[in-house]
Amino acid sequence: MRSPFSLKQEFLKKWILGLQRCRSSKKNMSIFERKKVIKLSADVAMASARKGTTCWSRALIADAVKEGNADKHLAEKILGPASERQPTKKVPVGAMAYNKRIRSKKILKRSSVIRRTIKCAPQAARPSSIVKTLVGKRRQILRSLIPGGEFMNGVSLIEETLDYIISLRAQVDVMRSLASASKLVNLN
Amino acid sequence: MESKAGTTETRSNITASDGDQVAALESLQFTDEFHRLILAPPSDNATSLAALLELPASRALELLHSPASAKLIAAPAPSFEALKGNFLFPSNTSLIDQAARSSVFAGGVNNTNNKSNAPETTSNNSTLNLEKAVKSEPAETESSQPLVSDPAVEKRNFKRKDREKKAKGSTKKSKTAVNDSSDGPEKLPYVHVRARRGEATDSHSLAERARREKINARMKLLQELVPGCNKISGTALVLDEIINHVQSLQNQVEFLSMRLAAVNPRTDFNLNSIFTTESGSLPDSNFPSMVMPLIWPGVQVNGNKQQHQQQWQFDARQQPVWGREVCNNYITPENSLLSYDSSVNSVAELELFSSNGQWTTNKQRCMPIKLKMEL
Repeated sequence: MRSPFSLKQEFLKKWILGLQRCRSSKKNMSIFERKKVIKLSADVAMASARKGTTCWSRALIADAVKEGNADKHLAEKILGPASERQPTKKVPVGAMAYNKRIRSKKILKRSSVIRRTIKCAPQAARPSSIVKTLVGKRRQILRSLIPGGEFMNGVSLIEETLDYIISLRAQVDVMRSLASASKLVNLN
Repeated sequence: MESKAGTTETRSNITASDGDQVAALESLQFTDEFHRLILAPPSDNATSLAALLELPASRALELLHSPASAKLIAAPAPSFEALKGNFLFPSNTSLIDQAARSSVFAGGVNNTNNKSNAPETTSNNSTLNLEKAVKSEPAETESSQPLVSDPAVEKRNFKRKDREKKAKGSTKKSKTAVNDSSDGPEKLPYVHVRARRGEATDSHSLAERARREKINARMKLLQELVPGCNKISGTALVLDEIINHVQSLQNQVEFLSMRLAAVNPRTDFNLNSIFTTESGSLPDSNFPSMVMPLIWPGVQVNGNKQQHQQQWQFDARQQPVWGREVCNNYITPENSLLSYDSSVNSVAELELFSSNGQWTTNKQRCMPIKLKMEL
């Protein structure tokens, strides 16, 4: 298993690399730009630390470099020249097809549920269906939180959440220690 | 031989009345021994089998820790050698009966104590092993004593299997589920699942059940990961907690990145101060020197700029906690942030990201740092 310590190391390495790469020529950056750069490079570093094994990391990077994105050039700079980018293991085309399947299934389900609720209202009073809707709503929220979550079904959603939480924790730890270190340095 | 049979009987009773773990351990030992026995020459079958069945619990535990099980096979063998010709026939049957009974007892013990989750896996393993053990017993007895022992042992085998089937077969089901969830990354081609009593047996519901078991196992992992989820029961509430946790982590990342962006670099930060504080605030970062050297693209600290040499007080302030390379390199995160803020003049003159780096004589006293990553 990947140890958390090596994950942090790799994240820090890639993050600083990314920061250096996107250090622009102009030295005057507003604080918001700086924050954007820092956050973006941190996210991309976190995602690339997974080396394309998890869905959320691929989705995050894909989101960063997609066409309509404002900071696309920044993300591309961080990722480096295309030759250095690590190849992803799975083909993203499959994910698109899967997404379409999920969406069509959802439409079908929604139409059937509407028909059912019109016909027999007391069905919804059954506890199992209530629980299912509760859990389903929360799953929907979880999907919206995790990058690339719309593509995942039940089991993979939970696995991705696990991985994502671990990575986020490592990221927060490194950033926090960095912030405290710089603060302490500035105090002296 | 009757005395020995008597002792084995008492011993097997002791093993049956002992705790689950002992029986499990013993059964685990039995499987290893049986595997070795099957490979052993057939002439030793009877003696080594009898020797095995004589194993008391303590001996089994000893075997666990010492790999010298061949010793065991060899040791009682000479004692049996003399008795081989005369007493083989009755001793084997009695001992085999003892073994069958003890395995039945152990199986029964495991099945009755199968309520809680924790011993479930161990009991599953032990039932699995006992199945194997009992199955290998008839194989061996067939080779040695085809006439008498087989009906008795097989009868007991059938009895035991029926008992297991009739008992809530949740043991087998969860065993396969445990295997399934543990073999998740290996992607088993088939999932062998036995239907529980009173449940539908068509493939869809079986697959559905296997899937649900998988999801539940992952949810348990999540519960352990997210703090404070252990006491909550119910999927919806646990999912609530997980969502809150993820949201809070994401907010923390935002906040911290803002905070890092707002770092106002000062002119003279002292490496010394970093190290003394770092040992407290960064417990995990013994940033090993091989990781950090990559960051230093080159520091243009020329000899003619005296103020820089003041800042890099390397030679006097080498902290033993961190290697020299680490001293040099840890500065870079702050420096990279320093470069963003142009308001500080003297620091900005450092020009950290300049392509050509030169080292002063002061610096060269430190060990040269190899750049691992080309930028």
